[in-house]
Amino acid sequence: MKNFFRKVAFGLKPDEKVPSDPLIWAQKQVETIPEFNWKGKYILSEKEMRKYWIKLRVEENTTLRKKYKNDPEGFRRAERQLENDVGKKFWPNNEICIRHAEALKSDHPVLAKLWYFWGNHFTISDTQTLSSFSTGAYQREFLRSNMDKTFETMVKEATLAWPMIMHLDNKDNVGPKSISGKEDWRREKKKPATINENHARELMELHTISPDGGYTQEDVVELAKIMTGWRPKWTKGRDHGHDVSFDRERHEPGKKKVLGKVYKSGKKGIDLAIKDLVNHPSCRKFISTKLCKYLITDNPTPEMIAPVIKAWEKSDGLLPEVHKAAIEVAFEYNNKYKKFQNPENWWLTTINMSGSNYKYPVSEYKMNQFVFGFKPSHEMRFPSWLLEDIGCHPYKQKQPNGYSDLEKDWLSTELVIRRLMYAKKAFHQYKVADQIDDTIHERIIRTNFDNPDKILKIVARAKTNEEKHMILFNLPEVLKA
Amino acid sequence: MKISRRDFLKGSAATTMFLAGFNFPVLASSSKKKNLVVIMLRGGMDGLCAVPVIGDKNFEKRRKNILIENTIKLDSDFALHPKLKTFYSCWQENTGAIVHATSIPYTARSHFEGQNLMESGGRTPYKEKTGWVGRAMKLAKLQGEGLALSLPMPLLLRGVPKNNNYFPSDGKLPRDETLNLLKSIYADSSEEELMDMMNFIKKRKNEEMMAGYSSNWDKRKNNNLSKQAAAYLRKPNGPRVAVFEVNGFDTHAAQGGVNGTHTKCLVEMDNIIQNLKVELRDSYKDTLILTVTEFGRTIKQNGGNGTEHGYGTAIFMAGGLIKKSQVYTDWPGLKKKELFDGRDLNATLDARSIYASAMSTVFDIDFNRIKKEVFWGEKLDNLSEKLFKM
Repeated sequence: MKNFFRKVAFGLKPDEKVPSDPLIWAQKQVETIPEFNWKGKYILSEKEMRKYWIKLRVEENTTLRKKYKNDPEGFRRAERQLENDVGKKFWPNNEICIRHAEALKSDHPVLAKLWYFWGNHFTISDTQTLSSFSTGAYQREFLRSNMDKTFETMVKEATLAWPMIMHLDNKDNVGPKSISGKEDWRREKKKPATINENHARELMELHTISPDGGYTQEDVVELAKIMTGWRPKWTKGRDHGHDVSFDRERHEPGKKKVLGKVYKSGKKGIDLAIKDLVNHPSCRKFISTKLCKYLITDNPTPEMIAPVIKAWEKSDGLLPEVHKAAIEVAFEYNNKYKKFQNPENWWLTTINMSGSNYKYPVSEYKMNQFVFGFKPSHEMRFPSWLLEDIGCHPYKQKQPNGYSDLEKDWLSTELVIRRLMYAKKAFHQYKVADQIDDTIHERIIRTNFDNPDKILKIVARAKTNEEKHMILFNLPEVLKA
Repeated sequence: MKISRRDFLKGSAATTMFLAGFNFPVLASSSKKKNLVVIMLRGGMDGLCAVPVIGDKNFEKRRKNILIENTIKLDSDFALHPKLKTFYSCWQENTGAIVHATSIPYTARSHFEGQNLMESGGRTPYKEKTGWVGRAMKLAKLQGEGLALSLPMPLLLRGVPKNNNYFPSDGKLPRDETLNLLKSIYADSSEEELMDMMNFIKKRKNEEMMAGYSSNWDKRKNNNLSKQAAAYLRKPNGPRVAVFEVNGFDTHAAQGGVNGTHTKCLVEMDNIIQNLKVELRDSYKDTLILTVTEFGRTIKQNGGNGTEHGYGTAIFMAGGLIKKSQVYTDWPGLKKKELFDGRDLNATLDARSIYASAMSTVFDIDFNRIKKEVFWGEKLDNLSEKLFKM
């Protein structure tokens, strides 16, 4: 039964009281969206974060390029200084602290684990320096904030969020027959207006109905036409940093037909199209399957998926209901099915079960000490370094389909070596008093396992407390939950 | 048409069972183990900075602030960037060649799409879930013989199972006792893959592969990675394919002349070739090193003395499997009307013809099979005889 706390959350702290009703304990956590546990001074909105992105972009592209055009070394130096001025290396670390405090310090770790699921589902991949400034804020503002609403709301907000429009190139999606498409400068500058189908394809393939929805290339192009004109405008002073808005002059005129349904030209098209996509049977099946895959097993059975789909249908895709259904299935299959934990969730489980969270995440007090214009300290940069090193930085996915959720993709030597190294690292997050406390592993094990004596016997074969940590957190029982 | 594709955004590839990978039976002495090394030059490598054309007034005028001086003359038409010293030594020994005015068939100038296509070898961005090297390895039944000098597994190598990564982590590997203990625990719970991994990690430890040849801070730099890769590749039962990445070719500003940013990236590539050449020892003669990039750069310098995304570029090739030193090209010219879109060096050769020919040589597979099964039967030319030792 205690495995369940690792399955839907990150295990229990060494002296944490075991909840008497685990299922209710977990389900209650996803009903509402509480404030962030993190009390640092920087929790900025996506729009506020964009100012730093704009400053970096504009100054680099205009001022610096002109000033240092004959001085590559000077250019590199000035570029590094500018990066420090806008906190390029500070922001992602600050965001990871906010993110990980939810798992380690809040009273709703289950919500945190599901939030990470949605962050990977609506991936913003690592392009155009979005990972340094915007992705963290986007995951807070457009995903987490919507976890108590319907899936439809989440899709709408995520789709038109500035970072999503930027990274899937919808800013370049211009109707060839639109007013803008017919302008003379396009011919002169050889910049014809063209449909960019990238975002439309991902909206169907990755975000809603998946290839099982049976759409054709023609459907992709037609949905792309519906999406033409949704972009941030460009100005010299702010680059593409303006709010996303509907530019009628770039919108492809005429009716569009997606999956057999006709949509009128105009601003309302995208909302209507999303409404139909999220109500498509393939959508609820796709998302329910993905949720079961994340929480329960690499190969969920139709019996596992069915109750989640049912909850979706009953509640019209209200996410707390969908989440609760998935949690209940996870509870039911807790003993029979184990799920290989991705490196980030494994690291959080390790830290949480160790009870060493006074050093990780880096404290609010320390992060507040950051001074713009300087490189953040080694300690401040640790979270980002760690996640990159274990191979799953949540803002640095290489492609829009995010990280794999399958065991076979995470079982490689380089990554297994890292689990050994980071289990050791977790031990060194302890205060010295804990490092020399010979009862610490027994407490961790008694709280977290149904068969503590067996686990204790295995771990006792290790010689030092440090080695015990490496063994314990690399046991199959911890790698898989 | 039902659209289906990729699942290639994985944390890391299916790189299990390393032992299987590195325990392939020693090849019979009659069939030499031949190696392929691919260096991915990310950001758009400027073929005309690396291999400038000689005596083209038009060219010199258009990039007068970033022109490379004191270049090394290669033949009557082309010169070499003077900092590419190792490559030049290869050239002098007849183991270095260049293909010029070539590109993958992609003209839309986005890094994101271009880098996806240079790895997948396809025409539609994000459509393919495997890479051209991975597919050819599968065809050649080279399972567990690919090594990526990066994490996670690059798309280029996907398509064949059990490839491996080498990208060392910080710190010292655990004691043998710890690894043995874990191994026995995994054995008790029938976790066979994890069990095998412990063996592999022990082996790596014995080879001192963690810090490798280099001090701690730069062990993940190509300088160290290339020495390690060579040590693996030269083993008779080691991997046969290695893939490197060099970043930073996207020099929109202050591209610089002979000491500029673009030069720095080219030197990093040259350094990889140097380490491979030295550390591969005898195996260098059975190795082929190739570069890929997503596109070249504009001929004209921009206001910031950089260059913009272009089209045609050059491919570097080195190793003993090169037929001879040459700049192989069907030169399109640099007059305005000869340029692609009136601004970029044109590509007269599909880069995939070179890659298909190279793999046909290294993997000993018929060119037409590669063309058909790796590149979907697209119209590619067999250049094996012209470029490589058959």
